[in-house]
Amino acid sequence: MKILVIEDDAATGAYIADGLREEGHSVDLIASGADGLVQATIGTYDVMVVDRMLPGLDGMSVVKTLRATKNATPVLFLTAMGGVDDRIAGLHAGADDYLVKPFAFGELSARIAAIGRRPKMQDDPISLTVADLDMNLLTRKVTRAGQIIDLLPREFALLEQLMRRKGRVQTRTMLMESVWDIHYDPLTNVVDTHISRLRAKIDKPFGSELIETVRGAGYRINVA
Amino acid sequence: MMPARVLRIRSTPLRLTVILSVIFTATSLACFATTFFLVRANLTAAILSDMQQTVDTFGSTADLAELREHLTEAALTTDPAYRILHFLPDDGAVIANVKRAAPVSGFAVLPGSDFATSDRPLAESYQVRSLRIGDGQLIVAQSRDSIIEMAEVFAAAVLMGLLPAIGIAASAGLWVARRTQQRIGTIQTALSAITSGQTAARVPGVAGRHDDLSGIGQDVNDMAAAQEALLVSMRQVSTDIAHDLKTPIQRVSVLLDQVMTKTDLSAAQETLLLRAKDETACIVRTFQALLQLAQIEGGAARDRLTAVDLTDIARDVVDFLEVDAEARGLILTTDLTSDAIVAGERQLLSQLLVNLIQNAMLHGGDGGSIQVTVSTGPDGVTLVVADRGPGIPEHERSKVLQRLYRLERSRTADGNGLGLALVAAVCTLHRAHLTLADNAPGLAARIDFPKPPSGTGMFAQGPHLPQ
Ligand SMILES: Nc1ncnc2c1ncn2[C@@H]1O[C@H](COP(=O)(O)OP(=O)(O)OP(=O)(O)O)[C@@H](O)[C@H]1O
Ligand SMILES: [Mg+2]
Repeated sequence: MKILVIEDDAATGAYIADGLREEGHSVDLIASGADGLVQATIGTYDVMVVDRMLPGLDGMSVVKTLRATKNATPVLFLTAMGGVDDRIAGLHAGADDYLVKPFAFGELSARIAAIGRRPKMQDDPISLTVADLDMNLLTRKVTRAGQIIDLLPREFALLEQLMRRKGRVQTRTMLMESVWDIHYDPLTNVVDTHISRLRAKIDKPFGSELIETVRGAGYRINVA
Repeated sequence: MMPARVLRIRSTPLRLTVILSVIFTATSLACFATTFFLVRANLTAAILSDMQQTVDTFGSTADLAELREHLTEAALTTDPAYRILHFLPDDGAVIANVKRAAPVSGFAVLPGSDFATSDRPLAESYQVRSLRIGDGQLIVAQSRDSIIEMAEVFAAAVLMGLLPAIGIAASAGLWVARRTQQRIGTIQTALSAITSGQTAARVPGVAGRHDDLSGIGQDVNDMAAAQEALLVSMRQVSTDIAHDLKTPIQRVSVLLDQVMTKTDLSAAQETLLLRAKDETACIVRTFQALLQLAQIEGGAARDRLTAVDLTDIARDVVDFLEVDAEARGLILTTDLTSDAIVAGERQLLSQLLVNLIQNAMLHGGDGGSIQVTVSTGPDGVTLVVADRGPGIPEHERSKVLQRLYRLERSRTADGNGLGLALVAAVCTLHRAHLTLADNAPGLAARIDFPKPPSGTGMFAQGPHLPQ
């Protein structure tokens, strides 16, 4: 992917850019809001990472201006520690997602993948399939290898989230946000408990693991 | 053995009033009594000397016939209600102004009923003297009614003068005592509120008055103001530190992340690095909480309150935390009414719930069960998170709401004492009322949300966008 990073703190900027390049993305790093806005309008990017606090034109104005000019490039907003208001304001300004500093690189990478390459899925799939696992969204029936699996509503929602983004890493925070709408960091280990319950139902009895733990990042349901 | 029961009056003004009333009554009665006895002694002396004169008159008459003549004349002209004369000669007829006289000898005080006349009234009481004169026994009885009247006047004076005076003094005293008591009460209330952590509490009505109680009240207020200022500056300092250290902490965390991902590490190095990362995460959490608190207290989020269903939020949070409770062997139950609409900020409210439920699990876990209740009433929506653990002692309940304050027994547990401070700040932001109550046993954290303003455009517009 082509990614534009607008971040004034050199260390953080380099960290993000290097990490993303290592993952095979092509990255432009810009240190000021005004330059970033120019770069964003002349180049075409798949994703932009924009810091909230920038000298000159701040991150929020950059995003607002872009949206005002009908530029729909997905934006990941970086907000400072404690910036509850920032992140909500950022989302309202038109950002697609936000991340509070400091963050683990895995978190950033997973979120960029999530907003960047939104595959044009058919709008409302009736069922989701991964290997021999089937989920019918209408009847809410889940089967693996033809065997019906009884899931609690929350287990269903969690599995659905993973299956809808099969092959892509979902961090614990992303799962917490999308399944339970809870935006609160210190609880990520509870997500592990939920995952292990889900595994006990869909993986354990079948001997092969569909839900994979990605070290330092989160979970992923594998395509094959 | 029963210990002697002493009537104890705890209120100092009331006790002083009672003591003063008793002293006043006792002195007044003593005064009356002294006067009474002096006057009576005087009157008695007068009666006695009067009687002596009479006796002397008869005694000086040597001739017996003349004495009888004297006595007869005196008996005829003397009103027995004033003085009784009764002469009983050794031989011959009685000379008297009464029909009957009690047999007495020497001095005595006798009631009027001991004498009798045919038709004339008698005095109530007599000072009596019986002596031998000439050839017979003379009884002279002098009316003591002046003394009795005097006693009656005194009794009336006590009844109509002293008793009302005592009554007025006592009730005035009680009124003053009650007022003083009330003023002391307001000082006591303010003091106990302040010492239990509500540093905004003040003694009302001390301005403009210049007595000793107002002085004490003013001192209490000054003390509370100083304490409050200290608290505010402590808050400010912690926020400032958090702001200043934000960037370096962020860099450390980035560097650690880089070392972890970009270098080949031995297992031992990796373990150490992981520990360092955990510690940084801990620091980040504390700072994040401190900064968030400062921001919530800043109140900017009040513009963003929209209609949210507290039951929805509670359902999500409980659904998420249930597995954690189960893993700890706790039962998490709910009682949620539908349509619990409040003017709120969803994320802050879910964080509030998470904090309360986590507290119940962490600090009240011994009780085995936790109950989350959302109910609606005429005044708005009420949320209660109750556990059956050890609870929080009453005098600590407002202190635990301060940042970084933890009970002695929790100092070793995870956390840093910011959870309830955040809960309190979120409540203030929502104009909701937070009460930590005794669940006997355990803690019941109760939050009363006001009724959302109806008919305003607030809910239709959705969140307010900062410009
Ligand atoms: N449900 C409860 N039962 C008993 N004690 C409690 C309960 N909730 C809180 N406390 C006491 O109040 C203190 C303050 O709570 P608070 O949530 O502010 O901090 P914490 O839980 O210790 O740390 P943090 O929430 O920041 O992780 C706790 O340390 C504990 O002593
Ligand atoms: Mg807590």
